[in-house]
Amino acid sequence: MSSAFDASEFLAGYLVEAEEHLSASTMNLLAVEGSLRKGENNPRAVRELFRSLHTIKGLSAMVGVEPIVDIAHAMETVLRQADRAAGALSAKAVEALLAGLRAIGERVRALSTNAPVAPAPPHLLDALAALEITKNEVPQAVELDLEPAVLGKLSATEKAQIIQGAEGGRRALRVDFVPSPARAAEGMTITTVRERIGTFAEIVKVVPLSIPMSDAAPGGLAFALLVLTDVPDEELAAAVGTTPELVRRVLHPRPEGGADPLDEPSSAEEDVGETEGRRRGVVRVDVARLDDALERLSALVITRFRLARAVDALAAQGVAVGELGDIVKSYGRQVRDLRGAIMRARMVPVAELLERVPLIVRGLSRTTKKPVRVAIDAGKAELDKAVAERIFPAIVHLLRNAVDHAIEPPAERRHLGKPEEGLVRVTCFERSTNQLELGIIDDGRGIDREAVARKASRPVPENDAALLDLITQPGLTTLEQATKTSGRGLGMDIVRRAVVEELGGELSLRTTPGVGTTFTLLIPLTITIVDAFSFVCGDQTFVAPVAAIEEVVEVAPAGLVRGPSRHTRFGEVRFMERRGEIVPLVNLASVFSLASGDEPKALVVRRNGTPLAFGIQRMVGQQEVVIRPLEDPLVKVTGVSGSTDLGDGRPTLVLDLVALSGALSQNRTEVPV
Amino acid sequence: MTGSEKEVNGRTSGGRGRVTEILVVDDSKVMREMIVACLRVIEAFTFTHAASGLEAIEKLALKDFDLVVLDLNMPDIGGFEVIEFIRGQDKLKRLPILVVTTRGDEGSRSRALGAGASQFMTKPFTPDAILANVQSMLRQDAAGFHE
Repeated sequence: MSSAFDASEFLAGYLVEAEEHLSASTMNLLAVEGSLRKGENNPRAVRELFRSLHTIKGLSAMVGVEPIVDIAHAMETVLRQADRAAGALSAKAVEALLAGLRAIGERVRALSTNAPVAPAPPHLLDALAALEITKNEVPQAVELDLEPAVLGKLSATEKAQIIQGAEGGRRALRVDFVPSPARAAEGMTITTVRERIGTFAEIVKVVPLSIPMSDAAPGGLAFALLVLTDVPDEELAAAVGTTPELVRRVLHPRPEGGADPLDEPSSAEEDVGETEGRRRGVVRVDVARLDDALERLSALVITRFRLARAVDALAAQGVAVGELGDIVKSYGRQVRDLRGAIMRARMVPVAELLERVPLIVRGLSRTTKKPVRVAIDAGKAELDKAVAERIFPAIVHLLRNAVDHAIEPPAERRHLGKPEEGLVRVTCFERSTNQLELGIIDDGRGIDREAVARKASRPVPENDAALLDLITQPGLTTLEQATKTSGRGLGMDIVRRAVVEELGGELSLRTTPGVGTTFTLLIPLTITIVDAFSFVCGDQTFVAPVAAIEEVVEVAPAGLVRGPSRHTRFGEVRFMERRGEIVPLVNLASVFSLASGDEPKALVVRRNGTPLAFGIQRMVGQQEVVIRPLEDPLVKVTGVSGSTDLGDGRPTLVLDLVALSGALSQNRTEVPV
Repeated sequence: MTGSEKEVNGRTSGGRGRVTEILVVDDSKVMREMIVACLRVIEAFTFTHAASGLEAIEKLALKDFDLVVLDLNMPDIGGFEVIEFIRGQDKLKRLPILVVTTRGDEGSRSRALGAGASQFMTKPFTPDAILANVQSMLRQDAAGFHE
C-alpha cells in the first residue's frame, strides 16, 4: 500500500466507521436470516450489506489493512451475486458471511489496540468463494425514488406491482395525506381519501409516517400513498388536500444504457436516501473533548458568580446598577443553556446501544440450544455515553441469565404449552427528563424463591423485593445448580453494583413462576465523571476532583507558624510557607468534626487567587469516579458535592474543597458545616 | 363512522378521567359490535370504531385513547404493523393493546407480543374473558406497569 497520506491520522475515524458498518451489517445479516426462515429473500438488507462491505473494503484499502480488504472483498463478491439474484442468500451463505464479519471485527479490534493484524483466514476465503448463489428469476433492477421509511414497508410484490404498472404506461406517484381534526370534521380522513383516490387510481400501498407535530400536522402523522394512475397530478393533489407540486414520481424512466448500479458504487452512493444524507451532517467528537468543554464552562460559571458579587457590591455602595443586574441574570441563563447543549452532545440513542443485543442473544441461544427471539423497543430515548458504557454490561448479564437460566428448553416449553421459542424483550422509555426505565423481560420459568433460599441457606424471601436482595448478594453463585451444569457465577451483584451503587439508579424485580421475569432498571440519563484523588482524613476516605487541587504538599511541622490564636470550631489555623507564599492550613478532619490526628500531607486549593491548604492523613490514589448528587436536602453540606462508590460498595463523599475554602474564609468563626 | 365518538375535554393524555376511551379495530363491523357488546357493561367505557389499520392509526394520532382492541388480519396494513407503529410513537408507548384474533397460532401470538402488544386472545372469546382482560390491563396501566 503506497498511500501518499499518513494513514495513521485517519485510523481513529476508520475504526469508528468500520465498527458502525460491522454492527449495521450484523443487523442486516440477522434480518436476512429472519427472512430466510419465512422462506423469503431480503433484497433490501442484502443491498445494504453490499454497501457496508464495499465501504469497509474501500476504507481498509486506504489505511492499508490488507487482511480486512481480502475478507471484505470475498464477502462483497458473494453479496453482489446475491443482490443480482434479488437477495437470494442460503443459510450456509449467511453463516459464512457472519464468520466473515467476525473475522473483520477481530482485526479491527486488533488494529485499535495496536496489536498485529492476523492475515485473512484461508478457510474463510475458500468457504466464501465456494458459495453458490442460485439465480432466481430476477426482476429488472429498478430503483424506486422513496426514502427508506417508505421503501422498507414495500414487499417485493408491491415493488413489482409498481414496476409493472409503470411499464404498462401508467405513472407511479407518491402523495402524502396529513390528517387533522379539522379535516376529519370536513369528512376528509384516510378512509375517505382512499375511497376517492380509488375511483381514479390503483393504490399500491399506504404507509403511515411519523412527522414532526405542527399546526398543519397536529397528530404528527402523515400517510404516504403510492399509486398508479393516468390522471393529472392536480386531481391526485386535490384528493388529499395538497398542491400538485407535492405529487412526486417514484419511478423514473431508466436512462439509456444504464449500467448495473452496483458496478458503479459512486453512482449508488448518490441515491442513498435520507438516512445517510443526515449522517453526513454528523461530527464525531471524542468524549474527552466534551468533558474539556464542560470544564472550561465551569470557569465561566465562576466568573458569573464573581460578576454577580461585584454588581452586588456596587449596589451596596449606592451605585445604580440598573441594567447590569439583568445582564448578569441573562448571562447566567445562557451559561446554563450552554451547559445543556454540551450535555446533549454527549447523548447517544439507546437504540444504538442495544444494536448488539440481537447478536448476543443469538449467540446465547446457539450455545444453550434454546430457540430465543428477542424484541427490542428502544424508541427514541437517548442516554449519556458514559452511562451507556456503564449500563451495558449489566444488560448483558441480565440477558445471559434470561437465556441460560430463565428460558426453559424447547421440550419443556412445549410440555408447558408455551411456544418453543423463548421470548426476551428489552424495553426502554424516558420516565422523566432525567430518568430512563429499562426493562429486561423474559417469558421463562420465573425465579424459584425456595431454590434460591436453599442455595443461600436463608429463609424463603417473602416477596420479589426480598428475593432481589438475596440474589444480588455477592457470593450467591447460581440460582439452580440442581438443573444447570454451567455453574458460572450469575453476576447479579454486578448488576446491582452498576445500577444502584455506581449510577445511583434503582433495580426492581417481578417474577411469576412459570410465566416469566421482569427486571426493571431505573437509571439516570446523565452522570458526572471526574478524575479524582482519594485520601484519608479523620480515618475516613474522601475524594476530591483532581482539577480543583493545585498541589499535594508535605507538611513539615517545624515550618508551621501559629496564627494569631484564631481558635475556631474547626480547629486552629496555622500558616505554612510555600514557594514564598504564605498559605493558611486547616485540618480537614477538624472541619468535619472528625477525630483529628496527624496531617503529614496537605491539599492546596486556590479560590479567587487566595490559597488554602487542607491537612490530611494520607493520599490513597487517583481514579475516575462517578459523582452522584446528594438528593436529600438534610445531608446537603457546604463542601460536599456528592457521593461516589470507589468500588467497595460503600458511599464515599466527594468534597468540593474550593467551595469549602470559600465558606471558611468568609466566616472563620462561624462554621459552615 | 358510527356516531359513538365522543370528545372528552380537559383530559390529559396520561391521566385517567371519568371516561375510559376504547378504540375497537376490526374490519368486520359485526365483530366490532360484538366486542363493544361485551365491554359495554362498564358504564365508563366509551367506544370508537376503526375498520382498518390505517383508520386506527389516524384516530390514535388525533385523539387520546386509554386502550386499543386490535384485530390482526385486516386489509391495507395488518395488526402487526399497527402495533409497531404505535410502539414507535412516544406518546403511544404505554397505550395498552389487546389483540383479539382468529390467528391463534403461537407464531402470531409471539410476534404480536414481541411487537409490543400487551395481551393476546383468540376468537372465539367469552364476554367474561375479554372484559376481564380489558379491566386488568387498565388496572395495570393505572398502576404504572408497562407490559
